[in-house]
Amino acid sequence: MIKGLLKKDLCNLATYKTSLIIIILFCGIAIIGTESITIAPAIICGIVGMISLSTFSYDEISKSNKYILTLPTDRKELVKEKYILAIVATLLGGILGMVLTIIVVNIMNYLRLENIISLDYKSLVISTMGGIFAISFLQAVQIPSIYKWGAEKGRIQMFILVLIIVAILGGIYFLINKTNINVDMEMIKNFINKFGVWILITSTIIMYFVSYKISYKIYKNKE
Amino acid sequence: MDNNIELQNVSKKYKDFELKNISFNVPQGCIVGLIGENGAGKTTTIKSILNITKSGGTVKIFGKDSKKNEKEIKEEIGVVLDDSFLSEYLTAKQVNSIMKDFFKTWNENKYINLLKQFNLPTDKLIKDFSSGMKMKLKIATAISHNPKLLILDEPTSGLDPVVRNEILDIFRKYIEEDETRSILLSTHITTDLEHISDYIVFIEKGKIIFNLPTNELLENYGIIKCSKEDFIRLDKKDYITYQKGKYQYEVLTNDKSLIRSKYNITTIDKTSIEDIMLFYIKGEK
Repeated sequence: MIKGLLKKDLCNLATYKTSLIIIILFCGIAIIGTESITIAPAIICGIVGMISLSTFSYDEISKSNKYILTLPTDRKELVKEKYILAIVATLLGGILGMVLTIIVVNIMNYLRLENIISLDYKSLVISTMGGIFAISFLQAVQIPSIYKWGAEKGRIQMFILVLIIVAILGGIYFLINKTNINVDMEMIKNFINKFGVWILITSTIIMYFVSYKISYKIYKNKE
Repeated sequence: MDNNIELQNVSKKYKDFELKNISFNVPQGCIVGLIGENGAGKTTTIKSILNITKSGGTVKIFGKDSKKNEKEIKEEIGVVLDDSFLSEYLTAKQVNSIMKDFFKTWNENKYINLLKQFNLPTDKLIKDFSSGMKMKLKIATAISHNPKLLILDEPTSGLDPVVRNEILDIFRKYIEEDETRSILLSTHITTDLEHISDYIVFIEKGKIIFNLPTNELLENYGIIKCSKEDFIRLDKKDYITYQKGKYQYEVLTNDKSLIRSKYNITTIDKTSIEDIMLFYIKGEK
Protein backbone atom coordinates (compact mmCIF):
# COMPACT_ATOMS: atom_id res chain seq x y z
CA MET A 1 0.00 0.00 0.00
CA ILE A 2 2.98 2.29 0.62
CA LYS A 3 3.73 1.88 -3.09
CA GLY A 4 0.31 3.33 -3.92
CA LEU A 5 0.83 6.23 -1.53
CA LEU A 6 4.26 6.94 -2.99
CA LYS A 7 2.88 6.81 -6.50
CA LYS A 8 0.16 9.30 -5.58
CA ASP A 9 2.68 11.74 -4.11
CA LEU A 10 5.10 11.35 -7.01
CA CYS A 11 2.28 12.03 -9.49
CA ASN A 12 1.47 15.18 -7.52
CA LEU A 13 5.11 16.22 -7.49
CA ALA A 14 5.39 15.74 -11.27
CA THR A 15 4.19 19.36 -11.55
CA TYR A 16 7.62 20.39 -10.23
CA LYS A 17 9.45 18.85 -13.22
CA THR A 18 10.11 22.17 -14.97
CA SER A 19 11.07 23.92 -11.73
CA LEU A 20 13.56 21.16 -11.00
CA ILE A 21 15.18 21.48 -14.43
CA ILE A 22 15.46 25.26 -13.92
CA ILE A 23 17.04 24.73 -10.48
CA ILE A 24 19.57 22.27 -11.93
CA LEU A 25 20.46 24.75 -14.69
CA PHE A 26 20.72 27.53 -12.13
CA CYS A 27 23.04 25.42 -9.98
CA GLY A 28 25.18 24.58 -13.02
CA ILE A 29 25.56 28.29 -13.74
CA ALA A 30 26.26 28.94 -10.04
CA ILE A 31 29.08 26.36 -10.09
CA ILE A 32 30.58 28.04 -13.16
CA GLY A 33 30.25 31.49 -11.59
CA THR A 34 31.50 30.70 -8.10
CA GLU A 35 33.80 27.79 -8.94
CA SER A 36 32.54 26.27 -5.71
CA ILE A 37 32.04 22.53 -5.42
CA THR A 38 29.84 22.75 -2.31
CA ILE A 39 27.07 24.94 -3.63
CA ALA A 40 25.05 22.54 -5.87
CA PRO A 41 24.61 19.59 -3.47
CA ALA A 42 23.42 21.93 -0.71
CA ILE A 43 20.96 23.83 -2.93
CA ILE A 44 19.54 20.85 -4.83
CA CYS A 45 19.32 18.68 -1.76
CA GLY A 46 17.58 21.52 0.11
CA ILE A 47 15.09 22.30 -2.63
CA VAL A 48 14.26 18.69 -3.51
CA GLY A 49 14.01 17.79 0.18
CA MET A 50 11.62 20.64 0.88
CA ILE A 51 9.60 20.08 -2.33
CA SER A 52 8.90 16.54 -1.11
CA LEU A 53 7.06 18.07 1.85
CA SER A 54 4.76 20.02 -0.44
CA THR A 55 2.81 16.75 -0.84
CA PHE A 56 1.29 17.64 2.53
CA SER A 57 -0.19 20.77 0.92
CA TYR A 58 -1.57 18.73 -1.97
CA ASP A 59 -3.16 16.36 0.56
CA GLU A 60 -4.61 19.26 2.48
CA ILE A 61 -6.12 20.93 -0.62
CA SER A 62 -7.77 17.68 -1.76
CA LYS A 63 -8.53 16.53 1.82
CA SER A 64 -7.04 13.26 0.61
CA ASN A 65 -6.12 11.79 3.96
CA LYS A 66 -9.76 11.27 4.87
CA TYR A 67 -10.29 9.35 1.65
CA ILE A 68 -7.03 7.43 1.90
CA LEU A 69 -8.03 6.19 5.35
CA THR A 70 -11.00 4.46 3.70
CA LEU A 71 -8.59 2.43 1.55
CA PRO A 72 -6.81 -0.74 2.74
CA THR A 73 -4.03 1.13 4.52
CA ASP A 74 -3.58 2.68 7.95
CA ARG A 75 -2.19 5.77 9.66
CA LYS A 76 1.17 4.10 10.31
CA GLU A 77 1.71 3.49 6.59
CA LEU A 78 0.65 7.02 5.77
CA VAL A 79 3.25 8.50 8.11
CA LYS A 80 5.91 6.00 7.06
CA GLU A 81 5.40 6.87 3.39
CA LYS A 82 5.93 10.59 4.04
CA TYR A 83 9.25 9.86 5.74
CA ILE A 84 10.36 7.49 2.98
CA LEU A 85 9.59 10.18 0.42
CA ALA A 86 11.35 12.92 2.41
CA ILE A 87 14.46 10.82 3.05
CA VAL A 88 14.74 9.50 -0.51
CA ALA A 89 14.16 13.00 -1.96
CA THR A 90 16.87 14.49 0.26
CA LEU A 91 19.35 11.75 -0.59
CA LEU A 92 18.58 11.95 -4.30
CA GLY A 93 18.90 15.73 -4.14
CA GLY A 94 22.34 15.39 -2.57
CA ILE A 95 23.44 12.77 -5.10
CA LEU A 96 22.08 14.83 -7.99
CA GLY A 97 23.98 17.86 -6.69
CA MET A 98 27.21 15.85 -6.45
CA VAL A 99 26.83 14.39 -9.93
CA LEU A 100 26.05 17.82 -11.35
CA THR A 101 29.12 19.29 -9.65
CA ILE A 102 31.36 16.51 -10.98
CA ILE A 103 30.00 16.90 -14.53
CA VAL A 104 30.18 20.72 -14.57
CA VAL A 105 33.65 20.88 -13.00
CA ASN A 106 35.00 18.27 -15.40
CA ILE A 107 33.55 20.09 -18.41
CA MET A 108 35.02 23.38 -17.08
CA ASN A 109 38.42 21.78 -16.53
CA TYR A 110 38.30 20.27 -20.01
CA LEU A 111 37.46 23.62 -21.58
CA ARG A 112 39.73 25.82 -19.43
CA LEU A 113 42.97 23.98 -19.07
CA GLU A 114 44.69 27.13 -17.76
CA ASN A 115 42.34 27.38 -14.76
CA ILE A 116 41.79 23.92 -13.28
CA ILE A 117 39.33 23.66 -10.40
CA SER A 118 40.43 21.09 -7.89
CA LEU A 119 37.71 18.49 -7.44
CA ASP A 120 38.25 17.27 -3.92
CA TYR A 121 35.86 14.34 -3.65
CA LYS A 122 36.20 14.12 0.13
CA SER A 123 35.14 17.76 0.56
CA LEU A 124 32.34 17.23 -1.94
CA VAL A 125 30.99 14.22 -0.05
CA ILE A 126 31.36 15.93 3.34
CA SER A 127 29.65 19.11 2.16
CA THR A 128 26.85 17.04 0.60
CA MET A 129 26.44 15.17 3.88
CA GLY A 130 26.34 18.47 5.72
CA GLY A 131 23.58 19.64 3.35
CA ILE A 132 21.68 16.39 3.83
CA PHE A 133 22.03 16.74 7.60
CA ALA A 134 20.71 20.32 7.55
CA ILE A 135 17.70 19.38 5.41
CA SER A 136 17.07 16.29 7.54
CA PHE A 137 17.00 18.52 10.59
CA LEU A 138 14.46 20.84 8.97
CA GLN A 139 12.35 17.91 7.80
CA ALA A 140 12.56 16.20 11.17
CA VAL A 141 11.15 19.34 12.77
CA GLN A 142 8.73 20.23 10.00
CA ILE A 143 6.96 16.90 9.46
CA PRO A 144 5.65 16.58 13.04
CA SER A 145 4.77 20.31 12.92
CA ILE A 146 2.68 19.69 9.81
CA TYR A 147 0.95 16.72 11.43
CA LYS A 148 0.23 18.83 14.47
CA TRP A 149 -0.77 22.16 12.91
CA GLY A 150 -1.41 21.44 9.22
CA ALA A 151 0.66 22.25 6.13
CA GLU A 152 0.22 26.04 6.25
CA LYS A 153 0.46 26.69 9.99
CA GLY A 154 3.08 23.94 10.32
CA ARG A 155 5.54 25.98 8.26
CA ILE A 156 5.31 28.96 10.63
CA GLN A 157 5.53 26.71 13.67
CA MET A 158 8.57 25.02 12.15
CA PHE A 159 10.40 28.33 11.80
CA ILE A 160 9.53 29.15 15.40
CA LEU A 161 10.80 25.72 16.53
CA VAL A 162 14.01 26.11 14.49
CA LEU A 163 14.52 29.58 16.00
CA ILE A 164 14.02 28.18 19.50
CA ILE A 165 16.52 25.37 18.84
CA VAL A 166 19.07 27.82 17.38
CA ALA A 167 18.50 30.15 20.34
CA ILE A 168 19.08 27.30 22.81
CA LEU A 169 22.30 26.24 21.04
CA GLY A 170 23.41 29.89 20.87
CA GLY A 171 22.57 30.26 24.56
CA ILE A 172 24.69 27.24 25.46
CA TYR A 173 27.59 28.65 23.42
CA PHE A 174 27.13 32.05 25.09
CA LEU A 175 27.05 30.47 28.56
CA ILE A 176 30.22 28.48 27.88
CA ASN A 177 31.95 31.70 26.80
CA LYS A 178 30.59 33.70 29.74
CA THR A 179 31.42 31.17 32.40
CA ASN A 180 34.96 30.87 31.07
CA ILE A 181 34.75 27.11 30.81
CA ASN A 182 37.89 25.96 29.11
CA VAL A 183 36.99 24.19 25.90
CA ASP A 184 39.80 22.51 24.10
CA MET A 185 38.98 23.55 20.52
CA GLU A 186 41.83 21.50 19.12
CA MET A 187 40.43 18.39 20.74
CA ILE A 188 36.95 19.13 19.36
CA LYS A 189 38.42 19.68 15.89
CA ASN A 190 40.27 16.37 16.03
CA PHE A 191 37.17 14.63 17.30
CA ILE A 192 35.07 16.06 14.44
CA ASN A 193 37.70 15.09 11.86
CA LYS A 194 37.77 11.56 13.19
CA PHE A 195 34.11 10.92 13.93
CA GLY A 196 32.30 13.82 12.14
CA VAL A 197 30.89 11.72 9.31
CA TRP A 198 29.61 9.06 11.67
CA ILE A 199 28.15 11.66 13.99
CA LEU A 200 26.31 13.21 11.01
CA ILE A 201 24.98 9.85 9.83
CA THR A 202 23.98 8.67 13.30
CA SER A 203 22.33 11.92 14.28
CA THR A 204 20.45 12.07 10.96
CA ILE A 205 19.09 8.57 11.55
CA ILE A 206 18.17 9.38 15.16
CA MET A 207 16.50 12.65 14.12
CA TYR A 208 14.35 10.95 11.52
CA PHE A 209 13.49 8.10 13.88
CA VAL A 210 12.45 10.37 16.75
CA SER A 211 10.59 12.64 14.34
CA TYR A 212 8.73 9.64 12.84
CA LYS A 213 7.70 8.42 16.30
CA ILE A 214 6.41 11.89 17.22
CA SER A 215 4.57 12.29 13.91
CA TYR A 216 2.91 8.90 14.21
CA LYS A 217 1.85 9.60 17.77
CA ILE A 218 0.32 12.94 16.71
CA TYR A 219 -1.40 11.50 13.66
CA LYS A 220 -2.65 8.40 15.48
CA ASN A 221 -4.59 10.59 17.88
CA LYS A 222 -5.71 13.11 15.31
CA GLU A 223 -9.38 13.27 14.33
CA MET B 1 -30.75 -12.12 6.39
CA ASP B 2 -27.04 -11.45 6.95
CA ASN B 3 -25.86 -7.95 7.66
CA ASN B 4 -22.93 -6.34 5.95
CA ILE B 5 -22.80 -3.63 8.62
CA GLU B 6 -23.86 -3.88 12.26
CA LEU B 7 -23.60 -0.83 14.48
CA GLN B 8 -24.06 -1.21 18.23
CA ASN B 9 -24.22 1.86 20.48
CA VAL B 10 -21.77 3.87 18.44
CA SER B 11 -21.03 7.09 20.30
CA LYS B 12 -18.73 10.01 19.76
CA LYS B 13 -18.37 13.19 21.74
CA TYR B 14 -17.10 16.48 20.35
CA LYS B 15 -17.03 19.85 22.10
CA ASP B 16 -20.32 20.96 20.60
CA PHE B 17 -21.82 17.75 19.28
CA GLU B 18 -22.49 14.24 20.47
CA LEU B 19 -23.35 11.09 18.58
CA LYS B 20 -25.47 9.06 20.98
CA ASN B 21 -25.72 5.27 20.90
CA ILE B 22 -26.27 4.81 17.20
CA SER B 23 -27.38 1.26 16.40
CA PHE B 24 -28.58 -0.03 13.04
CA ASN B 25 -27.82 -2.69 10.45
CA VAL B 26 -27.20 -2.68 6.75
CA PRO B 27 -28.50 -6.03 5.47
CA GLN B 28 -27.15 -7.79 2.39
CA GLY B 29 -28.93 -6.91 -0.83
CA CYS B 30 -30.25 -3.66 0.62
CA ILE B 31 -29.73 0.05 0.18
CA VAL B 32 -29.94 1.88 3.48
CA GLY B 33 -30.38 5.63 3.41
CA LEU B 34 -28.95 7.67 6.23
CA ILE B 35 -30.81 10.95 6.39
CA GLY B 36 -30.72 14.03 8.54
CA GLU B 37 -30.04 17.71 8.23
CA ASN B 38 -26.48 19.05 7.90
CA GLY B 39 -24.61 18.50 11.15
CA ALA B 40 -27.04 15.83 12.39
CA GLY B 41 -24.30 13.19 12.65
CA LYS B 42 -24.42 11.36 9.33
CA THR B 43 -20.79 11.94 8.42
CA THR B 44 -19.62 11.20 11.97
CA THR B 45 -21.51 7.89 11.78
CA ILE B 46 -19.82 7.06 8.47
CA LYS B 47 -16.42 8.10 9.81
CA SER B 48 -17.00 5.81 12.82
CA ILE B 49 -17.92 2.91 10.55
CA LEU B 50 -14.77 3.45 8.51
CA ASN B 51 -12.63 3.90 11.60
CA ILE B 52 -11.55 7.37 10.43
CA THR B 53 -12.61 8.75 13.78
CA LYS B 54 -12.30 7.09 17.15
CA SER B 55 -15.67 6.30 18.65
CA GLY B 56 -17.25 4.14 21.32
CA GLY B 57 -19.45 1.11 20.70
CA THR B 58 -19.00 -1.70 18.21
CA VAL B 59 -18.95 -1.73 14.46
CA LYS B 60 -19.03 -5.04 12.66
CA ILE B 61 -18.53 -5.23 8.94
CA PHE B 62 -19.10 -8.58 7.20
CA GLY B 63 -19.46 -9.95 10.73
CA LYS B 64 -15.93 -8.89 11.71
CA ASP B 65 -14.80 -6.26 14.18
CA SER B 66 -14.00 -3.22 12.06
CA LYS B 67 -11.07 -2.11 14.22
CA LYS B 68 -9.33 -5.48 14.48
CA ASN B 69 -9.72 -6.41 10.81
CA GLU B 70 -9.46 -2.95 9.31
CA LYS B 71 -7.30 -3.62 6.25
CA GLU B 72 -8.99 -6.90 5.37
CA ILE B 73 -12.43 -5.27 5.59
CA LYS B 74 -11.42 -2.22 3.59
CA GLU B 75 -10.33 -4.46 0.72
CA GLU B 76 -14.03 -5.20 0.20
CA ILE B 77 -15.47 -1.73 0.68
CA GLY B 78 -15.88 1.03 -1.85
CA VAL B 79 -16.20 4.52 -0.45
CA VAL B 80 -17.35 7.79 -1.96
CA LEU B 81 -16.89 10.93 0.08
CA ASP B 82 -18.42 14.18 -1.03
CA ASP B 83 -15.46 16.38 -0.10
CA SER B 84 -12.43 14.13 -0.32
CA PHE B 85 -10.58 12.06 -2.92
CA LEU B 86 -7.05 10.86 -3.71
CA SER B 87 -5.92 14.20 -5.12
CA GLU B 88 -7.28 16.94 -7.34
CA TYR B 89 -3.96 17.03 -9.19
CA LEU B 90 -4.17 13.58 -10.75
CA THR B 91 -5.71 12.31 -13.95
CA ALA B 92 -8.18 9.41 -14.15
CA LYS B 93 -5.39 7.37 -15.75
CA GLN B 94 -3.07 8.01 -12.79
CA VAL B 95 -5.89 7.08 -10.39
CA ASN B 96 -6.03 3.68 -12.09
CA SER B 97 -2.31 3.15 -11.68
CA ILE B 98 -2.43 4.16 -7.99
CA MET B 99 -5.52 2.11 -7.09
CA LYS B 100 -3.94 -1.03 -8.56
CA ASP B 101 -1.46 -0.83 -5.70
CA PHE B 102 -4.15 -0.45 -3.06
CA PHE B 103 -6.60 -3.19 -4.04
CA LYS B 104 -5.64 -6.77 -4.80
CA THR B 105 -8.91 -7.18 -6.69
CA TRP B 106 -8.69 -3.94 -8.70
CA ASN B 107 -10.28 -4.54 -12.10
CA GLU B 108 -8.56 -2.25 -14.59
CA ASN B 109 -10.87 -3.21 -17.48
CA LYS B 110 -13.94 -2.46 -15.43
CA TYR B 111 -12.53 0.94 -14.44
CA ILE B 112 -11.64 1.87 -18.03
CA ASN B 113 -15.09 0.75 -19.23
CA LEU B 114 -16.77 2.82 -16.52
CA LEU B 115 -14.74 5.86 -17.55
CA LYS B 116 -15.91 5.33 -21.13
CA GLN B 117 -19.49 4.79 -20.01
CA PHE B 118 -19.40 8.03 -18.00
CA ASN B 119 -17.58 9.94 -20.78
CA LEU B 120 -14.74 10.85 -18.47
CA PRO B 121 -11.44 12.00 -19.99
CA THR B 122 -8.41 9.98 -18.89
CA ASP B 123 -5.72 12.65 -19.26
CA LYS B 124 -7.40 15.70 -17.78
CA LEU B 125 -6.61 16.80 -14.22
CA ILE B 126 -9.44 16.04 -11.81
CA LYS B 127 -9.43 19.63 -10.57
CA ASP B 128 -10.67 20.68 -14.02
CA PHE B 129 -13.62 18.24 -13.92
CA SER B 130 -17.17 19.46 -13.27
CA SER B 131 -18.84 18.39 -9.98
CA GLY B 132 -20.80 15.69 -11.83
CA MET B 133 -17.67 14.35 -13.53
CA LYS B 134 -15.79 14.30 -10.23
CA MET B 135 -18.59 12.35 -8.59
CA LYS B 136 -18.77 9.87 -11.47
CA LEU B 137 -15.00 9.33 -11.23
CA LYS B 138 -15.28 8.75 -7.47
CA ILE B 139 -18.04 6.20 -8.08
CA ALA B 140 -16.09 4.47 -10.88
CA THR B 141 -13.11 4.28 -8.50
CA ALA B 142 -15.26 2.97 -5.66
CA ILE B 143 -16.81 0.09 -7.61
CA SER B 144 -13.88 -1.03 -9.76
CA HIS B 145 -12.56 -3.54 -7.25
CA ASN B 146 -16.00 -5.19 -7.03
CA PRO B 147 -16.60 -4.35 -3.37
CA LYS B 148 -19.26 -6.13 -1.34
CA LEU B 149 -20.24 -2.90 0.33
CA LEU B 150 -20.50 0.67 -0.84
CA ILE B 151 -20.45 3.52 1.65
CA LEU B 152 -21.45 6.80 0.11
CA ASP B 153 -21.42 10.13 1.88
CA GLU B 154 -23.58 12.72 0.10
CA PRO B 155 -22.91 11.29 -3.37
CA THR B 156 -25.57 13.42 -5.07
CA SER B 157 -25.19 16.77 -3.36
CA GLY B 158 -24.57 19.69 -5.68
CA LEU B 159 -25.47 17.68 -8.80
CA ASP B 160 -28.16 18.46 -11.34
CA PRO B 161 -31.17 16.09 -11.58
CA VAL B 162 -29.94 14.41 -14.79
CA VAL B 163 -26.56 13.47 -13.30
CA ARG B 164 -28.23 12.50 -10.01
CA ASN B 165 -30.50 10.13 -11.88
CA GLU B 166 -27.58 8.59 -13.76
CA ILE B 167 -25.75 8.05 -10.50
CA LEU B 168 -28.77 6.46 -8.82
CA ASP B 169 -29.00 4.09 -11.80
CA ILE B 170 -25.40 3.03 -11.21
CA PHE B 171 -26.25 2.18 -7.60
CA ARG B 172 -29.33 0.21 -8.66
CA LYS B 173 -27.29 -1.82 -11.15
CA TYR B 174 -24.54 -2.40 -8.59
CA ILE B 175 -27.01 -3.94 -6.13
CA GLU B 176 -28.79 -5.97 -8.80
CA GLU B 177 -25.52 -7.58 -9.95
CA ASP B 178 -24.99 -9.44 -6.66
CA GLU B 179 -27.49 -10.01 -3.85
CA THR B 180 -24.82 -10.10 -1.16
CA ARG B 181 -23.89 -6.48 -1.84
CA SER B 182 -25.26 -3.52 0.04
CA ILE B 183 -25.09 0.24 0.05
CA LEU B 184 -25.12 2.70 2.90
CA LEU B 185 -25.93 6.08 1.46
CA SER B 186 -25.99 9.26 3.47
CA THR B 187 -27.78 12.23 2.00
CA HIS B 188 -29.89 15.21 2.76
CA ILE B 189 -31.53 14.98 -0.67
CA THR B 190 -34.20 12.59 0.50
CA THR B 191 -36.10 12.35 -2.81
CA ASP B 192 -33.24 10.22 -4.16
CA LEU B 193 -33.85 7.65 -1.47
CA GLU B 194 -37.57 7.24 -2.13
CA HIS B 195 -36.68 5.59 -5.41
CA ILE B 196 -33.82 3.33 -4.42
CA SER B 197 -33.59 2.70 -0.68
CA ASP B 198 -34.93 -0.27 1.26
CA TYR B 199 -34.49 1.24 4.71
CA ILE B 200 -34.26 4.76 6.04
CA VAL B 201 -32.32 5.68 9.15
CA PHE B 202 -33.11 9.19 10.30
CA ILE B 203 -30.56 10.90 12.54
CA GLU B 204 -31.23 14.15 14.32
CA LYS B 205 -28.87 15.88 16.76
CA GLY B 206 -26.73 12.75 17.01
CA LYS B 207 -29.63 10.41 17.82
CA ILE B 208 -31.56 7.93 15.71
CA ILE B 209 -35.15 9.13 15.38
CA PHE B 210 -36.31 6.15 13.36
CA ASN B 211 -35.00 3.21 11.37
CA LEU B 212 -37.74 1.88 9.11
CA PRO B 213 -38.31 0.16 5.79
CA THR B 214 -38.88 2.83 3.11
CA ASN B 215 -42.17 1.24 1.96
CA GLU B 216 -43.56 1.24 5.47
CA LEU B 217 -42.54 4.85 5.91
CA LEU B 218 -44.18 6.02 2.73
CA GLU B 219 -47.30 3.89 3.21
CA ASN B 220 -48.04 4.43 6.89
CA TYR B 221 -46.94 7.98 7.47
CA GLY B 222 -49.28 10.76 6.48
CA ILE B 223 -50.08 14.40 7.06
CA ILE B 224 -53.49 15.07 8.56
CA LYS B 225 -54.89 18.40 7.50
CA CYS B 226 -57.56 19.37 9.98
CA SER B 227 -59.31 22.17 11.84
CA LYS B 228 -58.43 23.23 15.37
CA GLU B 229 -61.46 21.30 16.70
CA ASP B 230 -60.35 18.08 15.02
CA PHE B 231 -56.79 18.63 16.18
CA ILE B 232 -57.91 18.97 19.83
CA ARG B 233 -59.67 15.60 19.53
CA LEU B 234 -56.42 13.88 18.57
CA ASP B 235 -54.73 11.87 21.26
CA LYS B 236 -51.07 12.92 21.61
CA LYS B 237 -49.87 9.35 21.24
CA ASP B 238 -51.57 9.06 17.84
CA TYR B 239 -49.48 11.69 16.15
CA ILE B 240 -45.81 12.59 16.03
CA THR B 241 -45.66 16.37 15.60
CA TYR B 242 -47.86 19.13 14.24
CA GLN B 243 -47.44 22.45 12.52
CA LYS B 244 -49.99 25.19 12.99
CA GLY B 245 -50.90 26.86 9.71
CA LYS B 246 -52.89 30.04 9.13
CA TYR B 247 -56.19 28.22 8.49
CA GLN B 248 -55.55 24.64 9.54
CA TYR B 249 -53.39 22.25 11.47
CA GLU B 250 -50.98 19.88 9.74
CA VAL B 251 -50.27 16.82 11.81
CA LEU B 252 -47.78 14.05 11.10
CA THR B 253 -48.93 10.56 11.93
CA ASN B 254 -47.23 7.22 11.49
CA ASP B 255 -50.53 5.33 11.27
CA LYS B 256 -52.88 6.71 8.65
CA SER B 257 -55.41 3.87 8.94
CA LEU B 258 -55.72 4.31 12.70
CA ILE B 259 -56.47 8.01 12.29
CA ARG B 260 -59.11 7.26 9.66
CA SER B 261 -60.86 4.64 11.73
CA LYS B 262 -60.53 6.21 15.19
CA TYR B 263 -61.26 9.85 14.36
CA ASN B 264 -63.08 9.59 11.06
CA ILE B 265 -60.66 12.08 9.49
CA THR B 266 -60.29 11.50 5.78
CA THR B 267 -58.00 14.32 4.67
CA ILE B 268 -54.68 12.62 5.14
CA ASP B 269 -52.05 13.44 2.55
CA LYS B 270 -49.27 11.12 1.41
CA THR B 271 -45.91 12.19 2.72
CA SER B 272 -42.48 12.33 1.24
CA ILE B 273 -39.41 11.48 3.29
CA GLU B 274 -38.56 15.17 3.19
CA ASP B 275 -41.95 16.07 4.75
CA ILE B 276 -41.41 13.52 7.49
CA MET B 277 -37.94 14.87 8.19
CA LEU B 278 -39.19 18.45 8.28
CA PHE B 279 -42.05 17.59 10.64
CA TYR B 280 -39.68 15.83 13.01
CA ILE B 281 -37.28 18.76 12.99
CA LYS B 282 -39.65 21.74 12.84
CA GLY B 283 -42.89 20.37 14.22
CA GLU B 284 -44.27 20.81 17.74
CA LYS B 285 -45.57 18.13 20.06
